Amino acid sequence: MFEVIKPGLETSVQDWPGRYGYWNQGFPPSGPMDSWSFRLGNVLVGNEPGTAGLECQYIGPSLKFRRDTVIALTGANMQAKLEGESCPMWESISILSGQTLELTFASEGARAYITIAGGIAVEPLLGSRSTFHKAGVGGMGGSALRAEQIVPVGDGKGEPGRRVREAARPLIRTDKRWEIEAVAGPNDDWIDTQGHERFLSADWKLSSKSDRTGFRLEGPDWSFTPKATNKLPEHGEEPSNIIDQGYPLGAINLAGQTPIILVNDGPSMGGFINPYTVPQCAFWKLGQAKPGEILNFKLVTVAEAQKSAAEIGALCDESSIE
Amino acid sequence: MAHEVTLQTAGNMWKVLVKIGDTVKAGDTLFIMEVMKMEVPHEAPDDGVVKAVHVEEGAEGLDAGMIAVEIE
Repeated sequence: MFEVIKPGLETSVQDWPGRYGYWNQGFPPSGPMDSWSFRLGNVLVGNEPGTAGLECQYIGPSLKFRRDTVIALTGANMQAKLEGESCPMWESISILSGQTLELTFASEGARAYITIAGGIAVEPLLGSRSTFHKAGVGGMGGSALRAEQIVPVGDGKGEPGRRVREAARPLIRTDKRWEIEAVAGPNDDWIDTQGHERFLSADWKLSSKSDRTGFRLEGPDWSFTPKATNKLPEHGEEPSNIIDQGYPLGAINLAGQTPIILVNDGPSMGGFINPYTVPQCAFWKLGQAKPGEILNFKLVTVAEAQKSAAEIGALCDESSIE
Repeated sequence: MAHEVTLQTAGNMWKVLVKIGDTVKAGDTLFIMEVMKMEVPHEAPDDGVVKAVHVEEGAEGLDAGMIAVEIE
């Protein structure tokens, strides 16, 4: 187990793939936003790739360990120090009981992962330990970590000194630009040709009003087909209104003229159209993009997106360890 | 002693509460960042006078680690 000295900014317990299978009851999957980094972190410490660990956002926590263990740090670089000494990333590290691990701000990327041999042993709810704080479930009491909490850790045998080879790690961009895959639909026929061209060619700036529920984008206006502008009144007044419908995870949800990507803790239904959907293979990039950075969207097919997700999945095992 | 107050997170500058020449006490809020729809206040580490302010209210896409306010 370990004690939370400083909680950081909304640091939470997450597992992968999260709380799957309850979307029809309004439960999102939650889970780590950059599941590529998260899964590799678990492989490093000898866990199954989906084992519960910590997601740290922008400002990391300080933790004091109460027993000897092995941990790994992956994802964003939060300049971690163990007892004041700089700590390597993408490598399993031995921790002695009584030692303090301190993370600071993310200098590259936005979300860091701390994985621990044996995993975080909070009670699962609906098959997952992931925190979904809007419903107050999962993780540590249904919310982000708080100072002075004692976090339980399961039994596990990690081995220090294992590294993820460089080619198997996600490349966290430092030029403030990200190419994000997008699949057309489900409501792509509500947007006219010019609207589609603008979406796929524009620079979309990530707003600071973005969190694990939705990523809000700033960019050009959208334009619509008659399906959006000449419709039955029950759909609502705005062109982007539609009679309430189910949303896919990753939907680019158009609220008036503002697109919001519905991510890990997003809503499962509502009355706005979703002209595009960001597939899961691109979620790790959303997780590492910071406010003010630019997203450019690239149209892919469902088959291409699934292939890309499978390629990432294939990297999250022993073959990536050196 | 001079203190440099750096940004503890990437994000936008929501509010700047001090200007050059202001007297501040340890713990006074100097400015508030916004990220993930949350306010992240930054406080004065010590008593002093604000010597420089390097951030503007409304600035977007700031990087963590940059020096925002100098206190002497």
